[in-house]
Amino acid sequence: MVMACRVINKRRHMGLQQLSSFAGTGRTFLGPLKSSKFIIDAECHESVLISSTVRLLESLDLTSAVGQLLNEAVQAQNNTYKTGTSTLLFLVGAWSSAAEECLHLGVPISLIVSAMSEGLTSCIEEVVSLQVPIHNVFDHIDSTKTFSGLETFSGSLCPFLQIPSDTGLQKEHDLKDVASPSLTIYNLSGIPVKSPKLFRPQAEVEADKNTLQNPQTLKNSLLTGNHYRKSILIHSRHLNRTDNNQWINKPDGFLEQHGAASPHTYRCNDLVELEMGLSHGDHNSMKLVDEAVRLQYQNASMRQGSCTMPFRFDVSRLFTCCLPGVPEAFSCVCPGFVTVVSISNSALIRELQNQPLRIILIEGDLTEYYRHLGFNKATNINTVLESMKVQDSSEELWTNYVLQVLIKFHVNLVLVQGNVSEHLIEKCIHNKRLVLGAVNSSVMQAFAEASGAVQVTYITQVNENCVGSGVYVTFWRSIPSDVMDRINIITIVIKIEGINLATVVLTSPVTAQMQSKEDRFWTCASRLYYALKEQQVFLGGGAVEFLCLSHLQILAEQSLSKRNHICSGWLHNTSSWLASSLALYRSTVLKCLANGWHKYLSTLIYNTANCSSEFEASTFIQQHLQNATDSGSPSSYILNEYSKLNSGIFNSGISNKLEQIPSIYDVVIPKIEAWRRALDLVLLVLQTDSEIITGLGHTRLNSQETEGFLFL
Amino acid sequence: MSRLEAKKPSSCKSEPLTSERVRATLCVLKGILTSSYGPSGRLKQVHNGLGGCVCTTSHSSALLSNLPVTHPILKILTTSMQNHVSCFSDCGLFTAILCCNLIENLQRTGLTPTTVIKLNQQLLRLCTSYLKSESCGCRILVDFSRPQTLLCLVRSIVTSKPASMLTREETDHISALVLRAFLLTIPDNAKDRLILGKSIIVPLKGQRVLDSSVFPGILLEMSEVQLMKILPIKKSDAFKVALFCASLSGDLSDTGEGTVVVSSRVSLENAALEQLLNLGRQLVSDHVDLVMCQKVIHPSLKQFLHMHRVIAVDRVGVAVMEPLSKVTGTPPIGSLGSISPSSYGSVKDLCPAKFGFKHFLHLIPNEATICSLLLCSRNDTAWDELKLTCQTALHALQLTIKEPSVLLGGGCTETHLAAYIRHKICNEPESILKDDGCTQTELQLITEAFCSALESVAGSLEHDGGEVLTDMKYGHFWSTQAESPSVVNWPDLLSRCGCGLYNSQEELHWSFLKTTRHPFAPQTCLPHEATGSANNLTLDCFTAKLSGLQVAVETANLILDLSYIIEDKN
Repeated sequence: MVMACRVINKRRHMGLQQLSSFAGTGRTFLGPLKSSKFIIDAECHESVLISSTVRLLESLDLTSAVGQLLNEAVQAQNNTYKTGTSTLLFLVGAWSSAAEECLHLGVPISLIVSAMSEGLTSCIEEVVSLQVPIHNVFDHIDSTKTFSGLETFSGSLCPFLQIPSDTGLQKEHDLKDVASPSLTIYNLSGIPVKSPKLFRPQAEVEADKNTLQNPQTLKNSLLTGNHYRKSILIHSRHLNRTDNNQWINKPDGFLEQHGAASPHTYRCNDLVELEMGLSHGDHNSMKLVDEAVRLQYQNASMRQGSCTMPFRFDVSRLFTCCLPGVPEAFSCVCPGFVTVVSISNSALIRELQNQPLRIILIEGDLTEYYRHLGFNKATNINTVLESMKVQDSSEELWTNYVLQVLIKFHVNLVLVQGNVSEHLIEKCIHNKRLVLGAVNSSVMQAFAEASGAVQVTYITQVNENCVGSGVYVTFWRSIPSDVMDRINIITIVIKIEGINLATVVLTSPVTAQMQSKEDRFWTCASRLYYALKEQQVFLGGGAVEFLCLSHLQILAEQSLSKRNHICSGWLHNTSSWLASSLALYRSTVLKCLANGWHKYLSTLIYNTANCSSEFEASTFIQQHLQNATDSGSPSSYILNEYSKLNSGIFNSGISNKLEQIPSIYDVVIPKIEAWRRALDLVLLVLQTDSEIITGLGHTRLNSQETEGFLFL
Repeated sequence: MSRLEAKKPSSCKSEPLTSERVRATLCVLKGILTSSYGPSGRLKQVHNGLGGCVCTTSHSSALLSNLPVTHPILKILTTSMQNHVSCFSDCGLFTAILCCNLIENLQRTGLTPTTVIKLNQQLLRLCTSYLKSESCGCRILVDFSRPQTLLCLVRSIVTSKPASMLTREETDHISALVLRAFLLTIPDNAKDRLILGKSIIVPLKGQRVLDSSVFPGILLEMSEVQLMKILPIKKSDAFKVALFCASLSGDLSDTGEGTVVVSSRVSLENAALEQLLNLGRQLVSDHVDLVMCQKVIHPSLKQFLHMHRVIAVDRVGVAVMEPLSKVTGTPPIGSLGSISPSSYGSVKDLCPAKFGFKHFLHLIPNEATICSLLLCSRNDTAWDELKLTCQTALHALQLTIKEPSVLLGGGCTETHLAAYIRHKICNEPESILKDDGCTQTELQLITEAFCSALESVAGSLEHDGGEVLTDMKYGHFWSTQAESPSVVNWPDLLSRCGCGLYNSQEELHWSFLKTTRHPFAPQTCLPHEATGSANNLTLDCFTAKLSGLQVAVETANLILDLSYIIEDKN
C-alpha cells in the first residue's frame, strides 16, 4: 500500500479551477429558457438529450475528487428539494472564480472564507424583505378559475395580486383604464368567465407558448426603452404602489406599504397566481401540478367532511406514468393508479371491469425463492425425495398454492412491490386474476389506506384481515384508441373510492424528451410543495439576486469606511491577526462575491432574453445597480421600479398586449440552501491544500500524473 | 507439480533515521499534519483514486487512519498517534506534530540516543509535574457551577475543524447542544461512583445545522411505512419491552459444517417459523408491549405480534443495543429458548417523531442517562467532520469531569511551558544534572530542541504567512501579520493572546518566537478573577493534552532509539 499525496494549492488553485470548469458546462441551464444538450458517447455512439443540471452531472465523468464533491452537493440538493440545482451549479462556478480572484489579490484563505460566508449570511438576512407570505390560497380554490383557464386567457395581471381586495388601497389600483376580460377574472374570482379547455389542439398550445414569452419582452421594453426585444428579469415581478406611498421594510421582514390608513402586509392569496409565478415559464408542467393539487384538495375535503384539518399538498401521493409516443396534449392528471400493462391482459381486464374487486398487497417479490431481507439461506441442506412417485415441479406446486390462496380469499387483484414470477402471471391470467409487479411503494400505501388491505411479505401470511375490497379496474381511455393502438400498449386505471392518489400521465411524442418532461413536472410540483409548506415565497426572476448584488456592493463600500465589523465563524472569537486584518480585505472579498451575483444575473438575462451578448446584459445590470445604490435603499429601488413599470403599463398605448405580465415567484428555503451549498462547496475546496490518495500502487498512476505526487 | 521458491533473506538496515528517504517522508508527513492544524488549518481530500468516497478533513483520526504508510518508522509514529486518538479523541494533531518536531530537532543535536532519551524524559517529567502543580500558569480549574468554562472548551474544539463549515451562529448552537447532550448523560443521583451514560449521534444529512437538537432517550429511525404500521400507539404508564440481539428472521444459520440431509416432507423453514411463533405466543401471554430486535424479525412473526397489538421494531442495529439495554433496564435476549419474565425491561413512553425527511420512534426512558443528539448538516462531507468533532468534544467533556482542569489553548500553553522549561533549566540545571552524568552543554542543547519543538507546534497554528510572537511576562502566544513596519506600536497591532486571556494593552514586551530570548520566568498562578470573568477563552482538554505530550515524547524517544530495522522480505 502506498500513499500518494499531491499538493493542489501551489501557484494556482487546481481545485477551484476544476470546479469552475465543471460548472461552466451547466451555464445554459440557468433561467426559465433552458437549452437542451446532446451528450454523445464517443465509443458506443449512444446519445442522450438532457436539459437539467442533475442529468448533466449524471452524464459527466466526475471521478476526480472535486468532481465527486460537486456531484455530491448537487445530488444532495436534488434529493432534498428537486429544485435549485442549476443555481447551485452556476454559483459554484461563479464563486470559485471569485475565490480564485481573491487569492490572486493576496487575501489570506481564512479571510476569504470568513468574509464570504459572512457576506452570504448578510445577503440571506437582507432578502427576507422580498418575501411574500402566502395566505389561504385554498380559500378560493373552488372557483372555476384554474390554471388551464388562465392560460387560455393569458391574463395573469400580477401587479394587483399583492393587494387584497378588501382594502382601500385597491381603489387606487382599480383597473379603470384597462378594461379587459381577464381582469374580471381576477377581481371577481369565483365567477366563471369561460370554461377551461383541458385539451386544446397542438397549434393552440404552441401559440400560447409563444405569447407566454411576451410578458418579459414587454416589461423589458418599458424599462429600457431602447432595448425593445430584450427582457430584464430583474424586473419581472411587480409590486404596485402609488406615488405617495413609501415602501419600508418592517423588522419582521415583510413588505409593507405606508400611506394607507393602517399599514398592512402583502400577501399572495391566490393559488393560480402562485402557480403561475412558480412555473418559471414551464406552464405545461405547472398546469398538471395545478390539476393534481385540485384533485387532492377535492379528495381531502370529501374525506374530511366537516373536519377542518388544514389541507396539505402531498407530493408523495402523486405518481407519474410516462407514455412516450403520444402527443403532448394528452398529458393529464387522473385519480387512482394509471399504469401500462401488456396487451395480453386485455381480455382479462374486460372481464374484470365494472365489478368491485378484492385486492392483496405484497411487499417484496412474489416468486418461489424470494425470502425477506435478512434471511440467510443455509447452503448445506440437501433435500431428498423418499418415494419415487412422480411429483409436480416445486415451482408448479408453489404456483398452485398461490392460486389456491387467491381463490380461497376471492382475490382478483394483486399488487406486488417487487418482481413477479412469469409463470404465475400467466397462470393467473387464465384464472381471471390480475397480478401487477414493480408497483411503487406510495401507490401500495395509498391502496392499503383506501381498501383496508394490509401489506404482507409472503402469500402464506394472507388472511381475511389482509384483503382489501372495493377496487375497480378498467381501461384508461382518455387517449383516443387509435393513438394507443399505434404505440401498441394498453393502459388501465385502478381506482377505489376515496383513494388519496393521483396519477400524472405524461406524454411526449419524442421519447428522448420523456425523462426531462418527468423531471420538469417534479420540479414544478416540489416548488409548489415548498411554497405551500413554508407559506411564503420570494419575488422571483432575479429580484433577490439583484438585491444581494446591490447589498454586497453597499457592504463593500461601507467596510472601507467602517472598520469595526463583527467577524463571523471562528474568527470572531480568536485573537489571531487575521481577525484584526479582516477589515482590510473585507471589501475586496465582498466585491468578488458580488461579481458572482453579477455573473449570475447577466447569464440569466442573456439566457432568457434575446440579449445579443452577456456584455450587453452586464451593462444593463450595471446601470440599474448604479441607480439602486444611488437611491440609498436597493430593496425600495426594486419595488419602485416595479411600480413605475405598472404605471407605464397604464399609460402606454399598447396596454392591450400588456395584460400578460405574470408575477414570478421563487421558493425560499430551497433557493437559500442552494446558495449555501454552493458557497460551502467552494470554501471547502478553497481550504483544501492537498489530495491524499490511499491504497494506490506507483504503477497505477501513469507517468504524467505522478508529477507533483509525493509518496509515503 | 509444486514449485518451491527459496526464501529471500531478511534485510537489515542500520541507523534508519539517517537515511535520506526516511527524512523526506517524515518531512512530508509533518507537512500534512502541520498544515491541517488549528482553526485556520488546511483541509485534505482523502480518497482512493478509484471513485471511492472523498473525505475532506483536517481531523487527526480521519487522517491517520487513512494514511497507509509503508516505512516502519512512520508506522510506529502513526500507530502510536492513533492509539492516543482512540483513547482521548482530542489533541491528535498536537501529539503528532510535536513528535515530528522532536525527532527532527533532537536528531539535529547529534548527541547519542542514550543522552537524548534520558534528558528528554527528565524534561517531560518537569513538564508534567508543572502542569499538574498548583502554581501552573496555564491551567484553569473547572468550576462546574458555571458552565462557561465547559462551553468554551466545547466551542474551542468545534471551531478547530474548519471542514464542518459552521457559521458563528451555528457554532454557538452546536456547542450548546453538545454540552446539553453531555449533561444529560450525568446521572441525577450519583452515589459513590459516577457512571456516565451515552450520547448517541443520530445523522440527519441535508438539513440545516440549526435544526440539530438533543432529546433524552433514543431515536430509532424507521421508514414511514413501518411507522404507519405500528401507529396508533396505545397509551399506558409503562411499556413492557423485550429486547433481542438474536436474529428472529427464521433462518437456519447455525447448521454447522458438513451437509444436512432432509426429507422433502420436512420443511426446516416452517419448523423455524413455528418456533418463532411459539416465542410470539409467549411474548403475547407475558403482556409485552414492545419487541425490539437488533436484527430482522420474520414478517409472519411481525404480523402475529401486530395482530395482538404488540409493537415490533426490527433492524435497530448493533450500535444502539447497549444504549437500548440501558434505557430499558434489561440485557438483550440472546437465544430463542427459555425466556424468563425477568428478561423484560420497560420504557416510560413511546412516540412517533419526524425530523426533516426521516421518521423516528422516540423511546422515552424512566430515568436513564442516554440521550440522542440529532445532528444536521447541509452536506455529507461537513456532516462527517461535524460528527467527529462532536464526538471529540463529548469525549473531552467526559475526561474533564474526571480531571476537572482545562489548559489554555490557542498556542499559549505551549509557549508558556517552553518559557517555563527554559527558565528552569537556566536557573536550576543541577536539579536535573545531579545524578545523570550529563554535561550542562548537553542539557542546554536538548532543552533548546525540546522547547523549540513545543514552540513550533504553536507556530503551526499560523497558516497565512503571519508572524508569531510571545510576550515576556506570561509567555503567551500572539500573532500578527507579516512584514510589520520596523518600528511598531505592538499594543495597537496586537489585540489578545492566543487563548484570549490577556489583552495587549497591559504593559508587555514582545519578541518573535523564532528569535532567541533571554530566559525569563513566566508568571505562574493564574489570577482567579481573570479566569472567572473571561468569557471567550480558547481552551484545551487537560487530560488529552497531557497524554499527548507524554505520547509524543515517548514515541520520539522510541524512534530515536532505533538502530536497526530488520524486515522479512518474503
